[in-house]
Parts: sequence; structure tokens; C-alpha cells
Amino acid sequence: MSKSNKFVFQALNVVSWIIFVGLCIEAGALVVNFVFSLFDPEMVKNLYEKLDLSQMYNLNKWAYFGMYSFILTISVLKAYLFYVVIVLLMKLDLEKPFSSSASGQITKISYVTLSIGIISYIARQTAMGLMHHGFDTAPLGKFWADSKAFILMAAVVYVIATIFKRGVQLQDENDLTV
Amino acid sequence: MPIIVNLDVMMARRKISLNELSEKVDLTLSNLSILKTGKAKAIRFTTLDAICKALDCQPGDILEYREDAGNPNLVT
Repeated sequence: MSKSNKFVFQALNVVSWIIFVGLCIEAGALVVNFVFSLFDPEMVKNLYEKLDLSQMYNLNKWAYFGMYSFILTISVLKAYLFYVVIVLLMKLDLEKPFSSSASGQITKISYVTLSIGIISYIARQTAMGLMHHGFDTAPLGKFWADSKAFILMAAVVYVIATIFKRGVQLQDENDLTV
Repeated sequence: MPIIVNLDVMMARRKISLNELSEKVDLTLSNLSILKTGKAKAIRFTTLDAICKALDCQPGDILEYREDAGNPNLVT
């Protein structure tokens, strides 16, 4: 393996860890906010990153809980996605990359990415529907702005995972050729 | 399509150990063991040539086709 490749992979590992920690903090903060808002409705005015869902909460509590569930699910799935990426980077051996564990991790990444994309898309459509009923869903847009990108990414990663699976089969055959 | 590897039979006939064969054919013990136990998925002509030369036999003496399954020395 060349020096530049090694450096790129180390840098990727560090970046993945930073993003994973950031997403964990975000998901954790959202969970804590949600739990607190259950006991103290005043918290709804000042949620994570100054998110104010008081108008939605006052109009319909179920709409608030529904939309917040979407936000929570997407945040947790994003954190899990980067956890899988970190596990993949830790397990990946560039001298012999075609292992069944790496193939499994890449397939898992494609499934998680697709889940994020679909949930984001459903959440965006639901938010648009709620907006027609007078709910203020504009501040939530940032949580599912990239739903189509996630679905496209899932498709690309799935293709890579399928190619990788074939690579694993070829490497197995090569290993068992005497 | 079950192919039986009779390497162990030929080795016993020629009274040659796995270590000796490994040195003669320039193959690692683990690779020879894969071949002997029938786990191999393919065999190179160069390997077959070396084994036939070392054991003074024909490829048919090492490889055999038998339709019935259940043998541990099967390569499918």
C-alpha cells in the first residue's frame, strides 16, 4: 500500500470519528430535549440549536411528537451510519480488502443510507402536508434537506457492495486455488 | 459434479510424507493440506505437473470423478 493511500485512510478514519462524535452529541441532545419536553412543555420553545416548535406543540401535540420522532430517528440513524463506517474502516485491510466482514459492512451502509433517505423523504412530505394545515414546519427543513441525496447515495453504495461481494467470491476462489 | 482428490492414496503408495512432497513440489504445507482434504476449488496445471512428477503418476491417479456425494475429499 502506498504512503498516500495510508495517509488518506488515516485521515478518513479521523474525519469519520469526528463526524460520529458530532452526530452522537446531536442525537443525544435531541433525546434529552425530547425527554425534558415531556415533563416541561416550556422546553419546546428552546430545543436543540434554538429550535422552536412551540407553535406546533400548542396546535397539536401529536403533530409535534410525530415530527420530533422523525427528527430523532434520522439523527440516530445518521450516528449509526457513521458507526458502521468506523467499524468498516477499522476492519478493512488494504492488503487483502475483499473480506466477507467488509462486504457485510458496506451492504449495511447501503441499507442504513436508504433508510435515512426514505424516512427523510416521508418526513419532508409530512412536514409539507402539515404546513398546508397551518403548522410552522420551516425550522425543521434542515433535518431532511438531503433526502434525495441519501437515496442516490444508497443506490451507489449498493452497487459498490454488490461488486465487492463478487470480489470476495473471487478472492475466496483465488485463496483455494492450489 | 463431485471430484475426488486421491492425493493421500498416491502419497501412501509412494510412501512419501506431506513435508517431503511439499519440498519437492515447492508448495506450502497449508496449500497441500487444502488439496489433500478436498477443500481446494481449483488446481493449476503447473501444480498438477509438479505433483505428477514428484509422485511419478498420471493426473487421473490423483483426480477421480464419482457421482455419489458424501465423501469428505470432494471438490465441487
